Amino acid sequence: MKLSLFQNSRFFLWSICLLLLILLLANWVGLNKEAVHFNTQVKPIFNKKCISCHGGVKKKSGFSMMNRDELLRPNESGKPAIVPGKPNESELMRRITLHDPEERMPFEAAPLSTAEVATLRQWIKEGAVWGTHWAYVPVQPVKVPAANGFWGLFPAKGSAWATTDIDKFIFAKQQEQGLSHSPKASKATLLRRVSLDLIGMPAPDAIAKAYLKDSSPQAFEKLVDALLVSPRFGERWASMWLDLARYADTKGYERDPGRQIWRYRDWLIRALNAGMPYDQFLTEQIAGDLLPNPSDEQYLATAFHRNTTTNDEGGTDNEEFRTAAVLDRVNATFEGLLGTTFACTQCHGHPYEDIKHDEYYRVLAIFNNTRDEDTYEDYPLLRHYPTADSLKLDSLCAWVAKVSTPQRSLEMYTFLKTLQPSVNSITADRFVNSELYDTKTLVLRKDGTARFKQLDITGKTKLICRLQTYTEGGRWEIHQDSVKGPLVMELALPNTRWDWKMVELDIKAPQGKHDLYWVYRNPSIKEVTQGGIGFDWFYFTEPFPGLGQPESKKYQDNFWKLLNSYPETTPVALENPLQMHRTTQIFERGNWMVKGKAVQPGVPKLLGKLPEGAPANRLGFARWLVDPKNPLTARTMVNRLWEQIYGMGLVETLEDLGSQGTTPTHPELLDYLAWQFMHQQKWSIKAALKQMVSTNAYQQIALSNPKLQEKDPYNRYYARGPRVRLSAEQVRDQALAVSGLLSTKMYGPGVMPYQPEGIWASPYGNEKWVLSEGEDRHRRAVYTYHKRTGPYPSMLTFDGTTRNVCTARRIRTNTPLQALVTLNDPVYVEAAVGLAKRMRQLGGKDLNQQIGKGYYLIQHAKITKNKQKALAVLYQKALTQYQKNPQQTKELLGTEPVKDANDLAALTLVANALLNLDEVISKN
Amino acid sequence: MDKPKFNIYQEAILSNAQLATRRLFLKQCGMGLGAVALQHLLGSCTPASNTIGSGIQYDPNNPMAPRAPHFPGKAKAVIYLHMAGAPSQLEMFDFKPDLAKLDGQLCPESLLEGKRFAFIRGVPKMLGPCANFQQRGQSGAWVSDILPHFAEVADEVSFLKAVYTDQFNHAPAQLMMQTGSARLGRPSMGAWVTYGLGSENSNLPGYVVLTSGGQNPDAGKAVWGSGFLPSVYQGVQCRSVGEPVLYLQDPHGIDRDLRKASIEAINEVNRSTYEEFQDPEILSRIAQYEMAYRMQVSAPEVMNINDEPEYIKEMYGVKPGKESFANNALLARKLIEKGVRFVQLFDWGWDAHGVSADTALDIGLVNKCREIDKAMSALLLDLKQRGLLDETLIVWGSEFGRTPMQENRNGLEVPFKGRDHHADAFTMWMAGGGVKKGVTFGETDEIGFSPVSGKVSVYDVQATVLNQLGFEHEKFTYPFQGRSFRLTDVAGEVIRAIV
Repeated sequence: MKLSLFQNSRFFLWSICLLLLILLLANWVGLNKEAVHFNTQVKPIFNKKCISCHGGVKKKSGFSMMNRDELLRPNESGKPAIVPGKPNESELMRRITLHDPEERMPFEAAPLSTAEVATLRQWIKEGAVWGTHWAYVPVQPVKVPAANGFWGLFPAKGSAWATTDIDKFIFAKQQEQGLSHSPKASKATLLRRVSLDLIGMPAPDAIAKAYLKDSSPQAFEKLVDALLVSPRFGERWASMWLDLARYADTKGYERDPGRQIWRYRDWLIRALNAGMPYDQFLTEQIAGDLLPNPSDEQYLATAFHRNTTTNDEGGTDNEEFRTAAVLDRVNATFEGLLGTTFACTQCHGHPYEDIKHDEYYRVLAIFNNTRDEDTYEDYPLLRHYPTADSLKLDSLCAWVAKVSTPQRSLEMYTFLKTLQPSVNSITADRFVNSELYDTKTLVLRKDGTARFKQLDITGKTKLICRLQTYTEGGRWEIHQDSVKGPLVMELALPNTRWDWKMVELDIKAPQGKHDLYWVYRNPSIKEVTQGGIGFDWFYFTEPFPGLGQPESKKYQDNFWKLLNSYPETTPVALENPLQMHRTTQIFERGNWMVKGKAVQPGVPKLLGKLPEGAPANRLGFARWLVDPKNPLTARTMVNRLWEQIYGMGLVETLEDLGSQGTTPTHPELLDYLAWQFMHQQKWSIKAALKQMVSTNAYQQIALSNPKLQEKDPYNRYYARGPRVRLSAEQVRDQALAVSGLLSTKMYGPGVMPYQPEGIWASPYGNEKWVLSEGEDRHRRAVYTYHKRTGPYPSMLTFDGTTRNVCTARRIRTNTPLQALVTLNDPVYVEAAVGLAKRMRQLGGKDLNQQIGKGYYLIQHAKITKNKQKALAVLYQKALTQYQKNPQQTKELLGTEPVKDANDLAALTLVANALLNLDEVISKN
Repeated sequence: MDKPKFNIYQEAILSNAQLATRRLFLKQCGMGLGAVALQHLLGSCTPASNTIGSGIQYDPNNPMAPRAPHFPGKAKAVIYLHMAGAPSQLEMFDFKPDLAKLDGQLCPESLLEGKRFAFIRGVPKMLGPCANFQQRGQSGAWVSDILPHFAEVADEVSFLKAVYTDQFNHAPAQLMMQTGSARLGRPSMGAWVTYGLGSENSNLPGYVVLTSGGQNPDAGKAVWGSGFLPSVYQGVQCRSVGEPVLYLQDPHGIDRDLRKASIEAINEVNRSTYEEFQDPEILSRIAQYEMAYRMQVSAPEVMNINDEPEYIKEMYGVKPGKESFANNALLARKLIEKGVRFVQLFDWGWDAHGVSADTALDIGLVNKCREIDKAMSALLLDLKQRGLLDETLIVWGSEFGRTPMQENRNGLEVPFKGRDHHADAFTMWMAGGGVKKGVTFGETDEIGFSPVSGKVSVYDVQATVLNQLGFEHEKFTYPFQGRSFRLTDVAGEVIRAIV
């Protein structure tokens, strides 16, 4: 019995082993029989071959292939395209396999390949299982691959390299691709690489020295930490964000006048430096004004979407350009923050994704209720009072809260900070002897009238408005419902002699919504054509609170002082109060003049829904945006950060993670990073970046070879370190930094460094490029004044963007014009002189020492012999020439006396060459 | 730099070709690597059809390599003359004797219904033609007396008398005409063409823009921008005053010899960097520095009009050293001769509203015509005498036209004779590059307000330009934001009547 049991169990063990073997074999054999995958195998066929006629835009024969329901439903022929499990009964299979070109699909195009037909057949046979594109499925936790090789039993060869999670993902893919990793780069290389990546310029001396001296295993981590807390960090990452925000210092189009919105750029730098979590960072930019008791900073953040272009050209339709701005906000939000193409749904259903035409307008409805109306002044503006006035405002509001209600206090605060909510004079219509002057302000002439449509001023007893008059005398009246209707207000006008003046008036407000008519009479005006009065805006309100209170007079005086002051301002977003709420309608075929049915605010079904309890406005939208269930926000951002560090995104098309974007090389890694970003790193950009640079993959040498070029020319599998040309900003900042010219002054209005004559030539614009003084000529590139119709030319040459619309990705090019910039632009010549001076200072009298020092300043490494020789030859040639022709020396260096001028001139040529080296223009 | 220059340049090309070939072309071409490299033209090995459209192979290391269009085009190059501000067709080409009879009468309200104007408010008065017209040459085309030189060459061109757009403000309408969209962000026509064709002359920019009239066009540099195409395809503004191309001049105190020496040194170091890194981008950079050096020599040469013979200078009416349309017209010819594919001239100052003498139809407009008349006629004749007109398409036009009504800005009478912006009907002309001679296509009603036949849209004009160069505009696309974008958006038909 005992024996038999033993024997049995032995048999049992053997059986188990055999069974395991069979299972393994079956599994192995079965690998090729894996179910057809909709997203990677079927959807691409649909997108490429079918959807242009049977998709979200065109539905030839009423048939669309956008979702499963539509495919299963009987279509015009009466038969469904697909009968799950039954390819032979599926009309789709019949139509793609016919020989008659009249009937065969795709119509008038090449037939599907045998393989494609087989894939579809198998897919239908397996039940035609539909799938949502990966990017629209919420991020799930991802298992880090074990760096194990053969049957998972032994570590794979070289797996010891993959010490970090990221490396493990990369290692696994390298195995698949038959690639391996490269050795670790030198400290010098890493120092320059990680500094350019994290702070956009060479590390400050102290940080560089500390790292190079530090031989501890933590040296690199300490370096990264030091860079992450450097104030230069925020400047570098703001540069990236400004492309998404389409930030510019001017408004765009014809006149392209200046716009004071630089405080938004400064807000970005501060927020990034302070390590503001990305969810908060987005929330404040999308809806800072809707947060409870918003701070100035939170208002400022909303300038993100006030960077839209506006057209101040005479004769433009303000509503047209207001609408254009709102459309742009929707498109920028989706392209920049959500990595999804959305603009196409403005005109019709999405051609490739299951997003409907009206869903675009549901999002539009969310963004369509800000106060801005394309006014010339860019209202609403946040007013930045000087400190003394800010204190006055605070005490005024505190007093109002005491003598009246907190609500009244908040109203007053909002009004004094933003002059809102006001009715803009440009919203008038039905002009009779009146006009929107230059489409910017309402002007009434002799006996002129104009209408304001459907204003609700119920319960208001006062009107504060900003007006100017052009002549003596005259009356201004407001009538209800018609020019002869009940009188709402009348005023005998003072002569402001063309000056803007703020006045407060008593009104008798009607109940509910009414058309109100503005009427101007002035018998003393002889000419019908003579202008009498001009208006800017109208604020309907209640009497000043606390009348009769002891300090009432003092506070009322302060109120008017504040109101009449002209502080600096920034355009911000502000939500319409209920009585000014706009209804959003669909634009038929995307034409804003042809309005269709009204829609409610919301988000596309494909991307989930507004979180439980979230309001259906920008704040609710922001909550949805940063909800961990949102499939796109975190993926888009980590992909973008990855691109900045590794040279190319895991999905190359940063602007489109959708089914028409490129396929991710490392889908699991992307999801892992997105999950980490949201849940482990708590949306910390700095933490995400630290993780990305703290890998062995990042720290490899960037040397390539023919085999690697052949197998992986774009380094998508990271068998070597990243090597790309620097960005426009980095090229400039580096040159200024190594030459000792760079100013580290932060913040403030855009600066105007040297720029050739004649770049600005806007019609009707009289603004000029005025060369900045002193250190402002040598500020970091992020502070350079950006004029939309004439951006700083050397930046454009290095693929900087014009910032007219959101640009999610810069495409790097390599052209001779770039060489001309770094060779000849006076900025770079000046930098070369600076670098030459430092070379002399550090290198003593010996030429090779000097060249070595110059190289070291940039690369933190010793120059090789042959490079040094090439530069020394240049020096000798130059020196001979300058000695022969000292006049040329003066032309290069200017008239300022310098010691050994010819030597400095020759060294300047060497420095100029150094700044042009490929290894200097590139990150190695 | 003489000896290594060519080696390294060829090496760069070879390397680029290797990459591109392996990835993209080998299968299509069925040709060995060496053959491709020898041709050193990416894409030139592929058959003329189906190479472009979303099939364009853009190689970041050699983005300006010449490429073949969809089919052999009749035009090799385009000179596009854009009169920014909208010249009045009613004083230049579109003769309306009936309008003269209506002069001073109030405009019928039915005409105004549903129309949007930039400045006209209420009911304006009609304004008769402010110039005398005659029929010209064999074709009998109408050209007014304010273009006496052009009247002599009218037989060379095809007129489009009923072009329309949907924008009535300058900046959006210029964007519409040049980029196919009234909003900022799309690539310009020139950028599309440069993307499609590359460049024949690596020593000069592929797409050159020249401006005159003292201002940039209203929409700014976006009208020659690259939009979502790589920035290398944007127009390069060349200037007739100062440096012809920005940063082209060597800095003060660095002469040609020293510049040559420094580029030699830079490239020698770069060669050893290449030895180390073996990144083909480095070879490309070496080639770009060589090209920059050559461009420094060739661009000033081609941009120098002083050396032209006197009779040519006289023919165009150039004023060397000044920014003028005439200078730019002559430069355009020189650039085309050197292999530049797309030259675009913007002349500003045509916005004849009649609010000042400068903008009066009988003063300012006459002066503007004088500035361009001789030069644009000379350009036609000069290209013809050089045998270049057949392969060079010349396009003349603006962003919109002007109303048959007199402007009444803000509902008031303006002091001079002027007209408001008019999007519904205006005149353009094309010549050379396979365009028929002496054709007048399209007609407007008795007062020049609406097209009655031969109506063509901005997209049709764009489609025709692309067609003459060998592009099927519907297939000439670039993938962006999940869809294939094209210059002509979702519209456009080649204007067969004139080609």
